[in-house]
Amino acid sequence: MSSPRITAVCAACASWYALAAMFACLVCVPAVAIAQTSSMFSNLANPAIGMNALFTGQAAHNLDEPYGLDFDEAEISLISVVDPYWTLTSNIVFTGGGEVDPEEVWVRNTSIPSLQLKLGKIRGTFGKHGLLHTHAFPFIQAPIIMPNTIGEEGFKDPGLEAAYLTPLPWFAEITGGVYHAKDPSDENPLDFGSTRHDNLPVLAHLKNQFDVTGETTLELGASYLRGRGTDDLIHTASGADVTFRNVPARSSNRHGWILQGEYLERGSRVGGSYVKEAHGGYGSFQYRLSQIWWVGIRGERAYDSFTDFVVDDLGDPIPGKVTRGNANIAWTPSEFSFLRLEYSHAKTDDGVNTTDDRIMIQMSYTIGYHPAHAY
Amino acid sequence: MKSLIRYMVATLFGLLAASPAFADLKVAASLTDLASVAQFVGGKHVTTRSLCRGYEDPHFVPAKPSLMKAIQHADVFISTGLELDGGWLPLVLPGSRNPRIQPGTKGFVDASQGIDVLEKPVGTVSRAEGDIHPLGNPHYYADPKNLEIVADHLAKVFSTLDPTNAADYEANAKAFDERMDRSLEKWEHQMAPHKGAPVVSYHRNFDYFDERFGLKLFGTVEPKPGIPPSPRHISELAESMKKAGVKVVVYQPYYKADAANGLAKRAGGVAVEVATEAGGLPGTDDVFSKFDTLVSTMDSALSGKTETR
Repeated sequence: MSSPRITAVCAACASWYALAAMFACLVCVPAVAIAQTSSMFSNLANPAIGMNALFTGQAAHNLDEPYGLDFDEAEISLISVVDPYWTLTSNIVFTGGGEVDPEEVWVRNTSIPSLQLKLGKIRGTFGKHGLLHTHAFPFIQAPIIMPNTIGEEGFKDPGLEAAYLTPLPWFAEITGGVYHAKDPSDENPLDFGSTRHDNLPVLAHLKNQFDVTGETTLELGASYLRGRGTDDLIHTASGADVTFRNVPARSSNRHGWILQGEYLERGSRVGGSYVKEAHGGYGSFQYRLSQIWWVGIRGERAYDSFTDFVVDDLGDPIPGKVTRGNANIAWTPSEFSFLRLEYSHAKTDDGVNTTDDRIMIQMSYTIGYHPAHAY
Repeated sequence: MKSLIRYMVATLFGLLAASPAFADLKVAASLTDLASVAQFVGGKHVTTRSLCRGYEDPHFVPAKPSLMKAIQHADVFISTGLELDGGWLPLVLPGSRNPRIQPGTKGFVDASQGIDVLEKPVGTVSRAEGDIHPLGNPHYYADPKNLEIVADHLAKVFSTLDPTNAADYEANAKAFDERMDRSLEKWEHQMAPHKGAPVVSYHRNFDYFDERFGLKLFGTVEPKPGIPPSPRHISELAESMKKAGVKVVVYQPYYKADAANGLAKRAGGVAVEVATEAGGLPGTDDVFSKFDTLVSTMDSALSGKTETR
């Protein structure tokens, strides 16, 4: 407790400080004004700025929507070194519906040997497809199992991730992450919304990559995610992926192929036993015909999963078993734009629509700085 | 089962304990030429490796995780600079989780520093001109003199990081410069009869060689940097080559031989495969043998001694 004398002295001091501060401000005003007129703000350290615009159109006979081209999203990315310790990356997405989504805003530290720290709103290191931005999807449609497990564009929550590059002779990376608990949403179907103080959703990921030959690589991955839901149950997602990729050294921008498979499932712990919920996977093959042409096919199956054409008599979505095949062809006249055409055929035993056929077209345009996509 | 687990644990510990061969400095580079120069300058005190192979397009190196692994323990990383490796290095460097070689540290070298860069864009920089390099032409390693600048730069960097062997690095760089000067005299003598001769290259990665040896770039197989040639472009270029009497088309191992050969055939000339990066073709293992082969190939082609394919 302070004495009345000290309080009185402090009050007097405060008056003097306030007066001094006001005087200092008055003195500084002309200086500031002068500085502003002489380019006070340098733009030399501006972040690298880029933007991608994505337009998609589809003709889907089962859907109650007009055919035609639609604006999908515009993604603005800003990347810059913050200081000797951190680099900041942000991807702000403007959706066709007029919403603004700070999809990713995170800082990265690489000053600790063998360890990379990521802090912020992160695209969680889960699986293979879940790490891709929309314009980098190999097919226009995301696999059905994605929005039924970790989210169409992967798991994106605020948190901290540490990725350790082990000293093993091949690339073996172990990632651990902790995230802020979130309720389920359209974007994130995982229920991690318990308000209990011990609810800290956690992630574990293992990635191995081997050079099979000088031109072909094999990647094996495993992922696990766990948290407590609003129903107070433990909810989990797990996945495994395998990718063979070939990039011929003498024609690295003209030829190559990617053979990829991934399995994901979502479940929960009820009464001490594990209950499997949505699960499924896909297998895809992409082939580069030339510098500007790619083709691809994909087959997939999802169980206990929702998708837009599987509805009941009232038009309400219902979960079911869905099998789908996609084929596409992409024209990429430069690294910064593409146009692709895709056809898909799907069938299900559930709901009023037992089959679904659709044709889609997508255009992507990138301006400014755009970092290379992960291998 | 228990013994199997023991074997697995023992193997794992064995692998973890395995460490790379000892050297004073472990040096990695974006490009084979830079690794080659680093080896000459570093001598016995360094081990070197290049992430891009000599026959691989340095613009399009896949950012494989194994490349990140390869530089996890490097002491020095030599970037080509001028954004030649800008498409893949921003993934590979942080992915290595090696704080010693990140940009801004002593272990990160931009080898283009001190180079007199050609074709710096003036005015507006636009991708309407193709995939241009906004900082200028980054293929400076096609001029032997530029590699002397790189060697001197590397000697300083190595000396800072490994002061014990500084005298060796300085001496090696001096010896490299002297050998390069002697070689250059020989190459200039070989190329002297061809001064002013026009050539067509696939991409603008031959310009520094042209500049050094007095050749004239007539055109490129690519209509614009990074844009594949269209039949119309090839046809127009072949016609103009015929009219101007241009006989030689050069292309690197990573470009489409068909396009270069087709153009040369239509123009009544010859297409020659050349290595502008060490290791691109057999017998081009280091920067000296690369220029030996390159100069001989060009001399032969420009003298009309190379047969049409």
